[in-house]
Amino acid sequence: MEIKYYQYFQLFSLLLALICRKRLNSFSLGIMIPILILDNLTEILGSNHLSVFHTRGNYFVYNIYFILSTPLFFLLFASMLDGTPRDKRRLLGSGVILETFLLINYFFIQGQTEFDTFSAQLICLACIILSCLVLTRLAVRKDDESGLLHDPVFWINAVLLLFNLVSLIVLGMHKFIVENKLEIANLNLYRAIMPAANAILYSGYSYAFLLCQLQTRK
Amino acid sequence: MPASNPQIVTTILGAIIVLVFFGVLFLGMLRYYNYRRRQAAREKREMQAIFDQQLTQARLEIQEQTFTYLAEEIHDNVGQLLSLAKIQLSSFKEEETIDFPLLHEARENVGRSLQELRDLAKGMHTGHIRAFNIRQALDDEVQRITRTGTIAISVTSEGEEYRIKDDTQLILFRIIQECLQNCLKHAAASNINIGFTWFPGQLRIRVRDDGKGFDADRTLAQPTGLGLHNILNRARLTGGSGVIQSRPGEGTVVTVQVPFE
Repeated sequence: MEIKYYQYFQLFSLLLALICRKRLNSFSLGIMIPILILDNLTEILGSNHLSVFHTRGNYFVYNIYFILSTPLFFLLFASMLDGTPRDKRRLLGSGVILETFLLINYFFIQGQTEFDTFSAQLICLACIILSCLVLTRLAVRKDDESGLLHDPVFWINAVLLLFNLVSLIVLGMHKFIVENKLEIANLNLYRAIMPAANAILYSGYSYAFLLCQLQTRK
Repeated sequence: MPASNPQIVTTILGAIIVLVFFGVLFLGMLRYYNYRRRQAAREKREMQAIFDQQLTQARLEIQEQTFTYLAEEIHDNVGQLLSLAKIQLSSFKEEETIDFPLLHEARENVGRSLQELRDLAKGMHTGHIRAFNIRQALDDEVQRITRTGTIAISVTSEGEEYRIKDDTQLILFRIIQECLQNCLKHAAASNINIGFTWFPGQLRIRVRDDGKGFDADRTLAQPTGLGLHNILNRARLTGGSGVIQSRPGEGTVVTVQVPFE
């Protein structure tokens, strides 16, 4: 079984999330555990597709990941935004529309074997907008003595925002990068950037989980 | 198109760097905004704590003054009346005929003592500052001072009166009391005017005396002018401001302006 270096960050964050699960629940971040399980499973299957599925391409694994992870992320943002029931309904309604598009794209537009760049871009955009909303709301509402840097929700959204800004370009241009063999230091641009972005993302998650463990919600 | 690859790669990397830069900038701005917000909240909490402390102090001072006033009244007024009534009643002897006019006088003295005690009890009620508005509390205070006959105090009001918070009223009452005490102790004034001017959302109180005055700037610059600093600090705590204007031989004007909802 092949495990790439950024997957260790993923596994570590999952392990931390499981250890801190009680604290995560008190911060309404319990949904992070299924998200991380799905992330880890996707990466393991994506890296070992040849031995597991006996297929040459692994794009279908990531396409299914987009479909499965989107509802989980919308639930995560709904709990982090902590809005009125009306806000939650609006957010989940947007999630349903996005999910419908992902399914249509998966079955009818870009297909199952091709990498669904439209889906990836839409998810990245949604994540950027929602994490900006959560961060802004956090900055406006939080007036206790501990600063933003001590808030796990801040770290989760900060790394999500930065990761999705990078992903928006790299995943959106995935097909172009592959077809034109765009490389940096003899490494495919996608393979050069995304592992590092993933490592930063999961390090941020891990730090947020540690913060959850170290403090109680006020 | 291998020749254009480096340019495309650079452009993509540039776009990523720019986006990440803006992302980090956004996070930095949020953090700074939140820092300022928390700082403002902390300052507000500190101000509130000082306000509460001053409020407690003002209550204690009023209580202390009330006790002093009560002790003086009981000793000088009620005590005298009762002593007189006791002397009058002591002059009666069992074998002698009753001197009805004297008995009547003694009864009147006991009645006046009772009335005095009732008035005192009314003034002693801890809630009397809250139960009346600042104008009524001030009228009682003015009556008490003018009873001595050494000074004339007038209270005027302009504009439509509004209801202001009890805590603010208490602090304002203490400010005026402090001004009156200063006039009585140091100013050698014969007239004092306390003017209330009501503006929409703002109250201006001006205490003016025709006493000997003093160099206000110099006194305020010295640490000894504690009473004057107290007036200004208390005015600030109510969210308003205070100004003390005085010159030797020209009397003193204390102006306090406070906002209210």
